[in-house]
Amino acid sequence: MAVLGIESSAHTFGVGIVDNGRVIANAKAMYKIGGKGMIPKEVAETHLNNAAGVIQEALQEAGISFKDISGIGYTKGPGIGHCLHVGMLSAKTLAKKLNVPIVPVNHGIGHIEIAKKRAKLKDPLALYVSGGNSQILKKYGDRYKILGETFDIGIGNMLDSLARSLELYPAWGSTVEKTAENGRYIDMPYTVKGMDFSFTGILTHASKMKGKHDNKDICFSVQETAYAMLTEATERALLLTNSKELCVCGGVAQSKRLKRMLNGMAEEHHIRFGYAEDPFNADNGAMIALVAEQMLAHGTKAKLQECNIEQRYRIDEVKLWKG
Amino acid sequence: MERLSEGAEAVMFEIRLSGKPLLVKARNRKAWRIARIDEELRERRTKREAKLMVLAKKAGAAVPGVAATGKYSIFMQKIEGKLLKDSKPTAKDMRTIGRFLGYMHAQGITHGDFTSANLMLTKDGPYIIDFGLGNFSNSEEEKALDLLLLERSISKAAYANARKGYASVSKEYLKVISRLDEIKKRGRYQTRTLLS
Repeated sequence: MAVLGIESSAHTFGVGIVDNGRVIANAKAMYKIGGKGMIPKEVAETHLNNAAGVIQEALQEAGISFKDISGIGYTKGPGIGHCLHVGMLSAKTLAKKLNVPIVPVNHGIGHIEIAKKRAKLKDPLALYVSGGNSQILKKYGDRYKILGETFDIGIGNMLDSLARSLELYPAWGSTVEKTAENGRYIDMPYTVKGMDFSFTGILTHASKMKGKHDNKDICFSVQETAYAMLTEATERALLLTNSKELCVCGGVAQSKRLKRMLNGMAEEHHIRFGYAEDPFNADNGAMIALVAEQMLAHGTKAKLQECNIEQRYRIDEVKLWKG
Repeated sequence: MERLSEGAEAVMFEIRLSGKPLLVKARNRKAWRIARIDEELRERRTKREAKLMVLAKKAGAAVPGVAATGKYSIFMQKIEGKLLKDSKPTAKDMRTIGRFLGYMHAQGITHGDFTSANLMLTKDGPYIIDFGLGNFSNSEEEKALDLLLLERSISKAAYANARKGYASVSKEYLKVISRLDEIKKRGRYQTRTLLS
């Protein structure tokens, strides 16, 4: 028996299938982000067009059919309302049709849990970095607690906005990383307060540098500063919580530079550091399926009519399983 | 030279200078960030921390005396006592702590990590230590955060006394308190755990 998970909080409509913690499918279709960023209505329309196809693709990839599905999970939030609705509706329809239990999943928990699973970590401190979120978390009992987070925007949004303002294409973080190669450092504001951090100062400053400095120097400096801030805040949290393991997850965890910095810091403290493969750091359905499977195994399920979405669904609101 | 502790940012060790113990706080190189950022941060923070300590003391708070500073290290008076988090403070101790914070805030000094792990009780009364996250700031937000961190790290009764002490010397008490209430109403702080 297998659990199917649907993710649609932002630009990706993803459908993953897991069987006893093993990922047997991870299909997705993405909305192409243009120069204006994400327009919610347009993204949701793209998801609507892709939904049925991606579900089929996942089943094919797993080599199973609908009758093998024993549970459904979907992203309840956080994310863009229009987009979340598409995933929720697909999940509810499937659950009703197949007559299987359904469970709403927090997007961020999906990212953390799949990183833990793929990196074979037991009780790590987690740095969760994506477009809209940048948080440092650890699980205590049956709940994640937020130890540190951004005061303003997520690091991914900051990098995407920078790419747009420098007119880089495609306008997102990996292009910033590519452009940053061989760059030289120019001063950037560095804002860490304890385990919290802020990114708007860097973005404003960097946008003003446009035309005055090479793009590669701007990208290099933004990246070095922002990642150093995250690494420093994470280091504080590691020592404060006395953690022996660290994982990084979320879309920005695809950055090689960020992983190298975190790895260097973890080595200094003799801490085990791990992360998932890139397709699991980008938004995906497998992580939702993975969490849904565990939640269902621990007796959590929701009534169909209670299944909703929540654009600002906070990780620390979610009651999970112990251990 | 005895290594006492290793924080995220610095190591502390003890040396003896003409028979007297001195505490050294040294900010070590972090190889994972580029040298330009690393050196600038360590130098700037060391300078700022030493200045904050000297000025907080001048403002009337009990703070370890700064004997000397290097580019990345501070040599300071060693305080003998127990951390507040490991002791039972009297009402007077807590009022004194509140007063000290009020004196600092009046001079535009915020501590940034004002918890029971950074307060010491000695036979001469309370001391405030570790200004590593401190700031020169007159922002009500930062001042309110000092109170919030203290509140979260000690008992209700102890905090009530500290607040009395703070109120007795602070001219901006009402403004800071109303900001504190506002911060508590914000989502991110309602569920936030402060472990220290």
